[in-house]
Amino acid sequence: MPIWFWLVPIASVVALSAAYGFFRHMMKESEGTQTMERIAAHVRAGAVAYLKQQYRVVGIVLVSLTGVFCVLAYVFHMQNPWVPFAFLTGGFFSGLAGFIGMRTATYASARTANAARHSLNHGLRVAFRSGAVMGLTVVGLGLLDIAIWFWVLTAFYGTDDSHQVVVITTTMLTFGMGAAVQSLFARVGGGIFTKAADVGADLVGKIEAGIPEDDPRNPATIADNVGDNVGDVAGMGADLYESYVGVILASAALGAAAYATHGTDVQLKAVIAPMVIGALGTLLSVVGVFFVRTGEKATQKQLLGSLARGINGAAVMIGALSILVMWGMGLDNMWGLWLALLVGLLTGITIGRAAEYFTSQGYAPTKRIAGASKTGPATVIIGGVGEGMLSIAIPVMAVVVGTALAYFFGSHFEFSTSTMSMGLYGIGIAAVGMLSTLGITLATDAYGPIADNAGGNAEMSGLPPEVRERTDALDSLGNTTAATGKGFAIGSAALTGIALLASYLEEVKIGISHVLERGNSYRFPDGSELVSTAQDQLQALGLMDMMARFEVVLINPKVIVGMFMGAMLAFVFSGITMKAVGRAAGQMVDEVRRQFREMPGIMSGAQDPDYARCVSISTRAAQREMMVPSILAIAAPVLMGLVFGVPGVLGLLAGAAAAGFSLSMFMANAGGAWDNAKKYIEEGHLGGKGSEAHKAAVIGDTVGDPFKDTSGPGLNILVKLMSMEAIVVAGVTVAVHLV
Amino acid sequence: MATYLYLSIIPEALVASMLPPDDFGLYYAIGSAKRSRGQAIFFSVDRDALDRADFPLDEIDARCVPHPDGSPKLSIYLSIYRVLERVPREALTALHLATDDGRVLTVKPTQFVPDGENRAHLYQEFCPVTPRIVSRLNPAEFGASITDGSHHVSVPRIAFAELTLGNLKNNAEHPDVDNLPYPNIGHLRDCLRELAFGSDKATKTVLRQMTDEVLFRTIRNGFFVADADGITAFPLPSRDALEREHLAWWRSAQTTFGH
Repeated sequence: MPIWFWLVPIASVVALSAAYGFFRHMMKESEGTQTMERIAAHVRAGAVAYLKQQYRVVGIVLVSLTGVFCVLAYVFHMQNPWVPFAFLTGGFFSGLAGFIGMRTATYASARTANAARHSLNHGLRVAFRSGAVMGLTVVGLGLLDIAIWFWVLTAFYGTDDSHQVVVITTTMLTFGMGAAVQSLFARVGGGIFTKAADVGADLVGKIEAGIPEDDPRNPATIADNVGDNVGDVAGMGADLYESYVGVILASAALGAAAYATHGTDVQLKAVIAPMVIGALGTLLSVVGVFFVRTGEKATQKQLLGSLARGINGAAVMIGALSILVMWGMGLDNMWGLWLALLVGLLTGITIGRAAEYFTSQGYAPTKRIAGASKTGPATVIIGGVGEGMLSIAIPVMAVVVGTALAYFFGSHFEFSTSTMSMGLYGIGIAAVGMLSTLGITLATDAYGPIADNAGGNAEMSGLPPEVRERTDALDSLGNTTAATGKGFAIGSAALTGIALLASYLEEVKIGISHVLERGNSYRFPDGSELVSTAQDQLQALGLMDMMARFEVVLINPKVIVGMFMGAMLAFVFSGITMKAVGRAAGQMVDEVRRQFREMPGIMSGAQDPDYARCVSISTRAAQREMMVPSILAIAAPVLMGLVFGVPGVLGLLAGAAAAGFSLSMFMANAGGAWDNAKKYIEEGHLGGKGSEAHKAAVIGDTVGDPFKDTSGPGLNILVKLMSMEAIVVAGVTVAVHLV
Repeated sequence: MATYLYLSIIPEALVASMLPPDDFGLYYAIGSAKRSRGQAIFFSVDRDALDRADFPLDEIDARCVPHPDGSPKLSIYLSIYRVLERVPREALTALHLATDDGRVLTVKPTQFVPDGENRAHLYQEFCPVTPRIVSRLNPAEFGASITDGSHHVSVPRIAFAELTLGNLKNNAEHPDVDNLPYPNIGHLRDCLRELAFGSDKATKTVLRQMTDEVLFRTIRNGFFVADADGITAFPLPSRDALEREHLAWWRSAQTTFGH
């Protein structure tokens, strides 16, 4: 085992220890007054109740799928025997990361509000370091899972033979599917939960009853606060855990394939390089956390600068230190891969900046949407849809340019098909570069809902204006980081999807290898055939050879059918999740109305609303409503494979990735822009609070809620899950297909 | 149980109730079983200051009694027509402003002191008529003018509030009107221009009648009740006091949509 590999478990331990340290430090802070404690306890109880229910459902799904994989692996021998266990651990660690992050967030919100009573910097530090618990837990557990499996599998298979290294990396890739299933439930379920509560709370509480935001008399207000945690913390954490491990493992698999003929020493270095880069980024993320601090009278720009100092500091350090690590590892094409890594870092920054530009009220697009509110809600909706559609241009171009450059650098500075596998490895390294600082970027994402809940707690507890001013500033900062975080998550999913697409062909080769091992020959769609003894011939097939033999060309109807189906799925998935939010919000509206009707003491404050019932309604609705989109995502690649085989699946993945990435970015940015257009008016523009323009903007914001927090983020998981699913069932697709 | 007497100005009515002001405001804003909703503006009235010939005050003791189950009587309407003109200013002991969701802010009457600024004013009349007016006159002058019986258009007594004009108070052309929630700002500018340059009129009607709820955040200085004998001011607390001492009301007041 190359010595550099040990950096991976070391970084994991450091990240988890730092996360524990930050958690302990946060827990030593006071939760403040009795009211603050009581509100925080309500949110915590609701969040735990939701997660228990979600994990029960996900547990059933994970165990059921494990059973299916066991049958495929041990009865039909269509799959690697490690798949069921790798699948389970991926799901477990992903869920654990989300759980820890959410528990931390629910403990941190009141403490952040209380810390803001002392100073802005104190509030920022408590909130951000609590967010860092989430970020560092995700990368720490991700690296731990990778390190353990790599160590176990190399011990089991050995690394003397380059084919065995390929088998190890493609086997490990399958544990990403467990994480993907977990993240789908966390993101989509959490998204439905949070928006049902949010929309329900707004429609009845604010619009009908005239109750302000975060008012304890609103029965849905606790569910709304819970939703921020289950959607934006647990959901985002599980989502990015899956991206993180997915991209490292896909890159490792691509490295194993690209350097299969260079000897196992070179090949192993290529395999562990993505892991080592991830480990380095994790260590530097821990350092970056300490860079985040601010002064007492900090403006919004200065607060943003404080967070940027942490993230950019970590990014600059990884840019500088990774060259030393690559040199130390003696990596082939070191300069090319280093440049690919830099391209990934820059692509991530570009996507984040673009999301900020299109969703922040400081810039023209959001101001234009706000301006449209002067002529009513229809023009707000039209303006938001238009700006949202335009907003995908820069991120898509960033991914396109980043992909092309990373390919160019990875393939020894040429666009040749002969070095295609190395170019694809370069793309993988770029994706790893983009996610290398996830420990700290995810900290800023998780910070958002903590600051949001802190603001809600401060409002509900009636803290003095100077404290609420501080929590408002922290909350406002969180809104910006939430929008950029979503852009980052979606952008990373696009690069991950590309890397997984290439890895899929490697998994197909393993599937064919299993067919040959069973003593059968294998006939490709182009009519060529491999007999059972032709393992060496199979291993010698390059990516272009595989594409040719499977007739993966645009004029092949199987590919075209797959692409159309993939694009359609992105829209159908969005439609289902949007309607799910509408239905769930309707139930919440009915419940809130019922409580106001049957519990007259709520409005006078003489009677507490039944918060738990609202949490329960959102929980049940989320679990019920996420079943159809989940089944759709899990079933589509299997069915496509069973009918149209490998060309159909590749078409499906390409179509879903292209349409899903664009649609996801559109929905997230449009929703974010609508939200901030409303906030822009509330800040005292275009008539300010209570004006007709405000009323129109509120409608835009409500429409945008499921865009930005349910369907948009859910789509990138759809894309990744389908890729992972295709990889896991590649053996079945190879063995059984109709046409 | 004590009995309270309230003068509501939206709609105009004299109401007896067993509810103290905060509870009455909650009830008046959100209703009981019917779940009605709407802001309420009402005064506490000193019963002893009323003329017994004008109102059936004896009925209060007869009808405003607890229900058989012991719950307080919510409201007894004593008069609903031309009420304000029959309630002397001295009888108004406090003003209560109830938001849509039933939060109540109580303000006490004070003597009006003009700020001496030479600027335009925007007034929202509440009772007995409800137009919105721009004027060169300060609240005392405006109140005196509108209640001057020698004018063709006058009322015996009036309840009104001054609304903020923001940057328009001294300059009808000022480009920054971002935080003014009023509909048709262009028309408001026209009225202010006419006031400033167009004629010798001291007042100009901006809106003929109130069609929506007034946004409490737009109230400047406070509410006023004026008649030919003078004016009584009911000033709102400062923004800082609202933030610190009346936060719940202030937050609710900013949730309302209106004009």
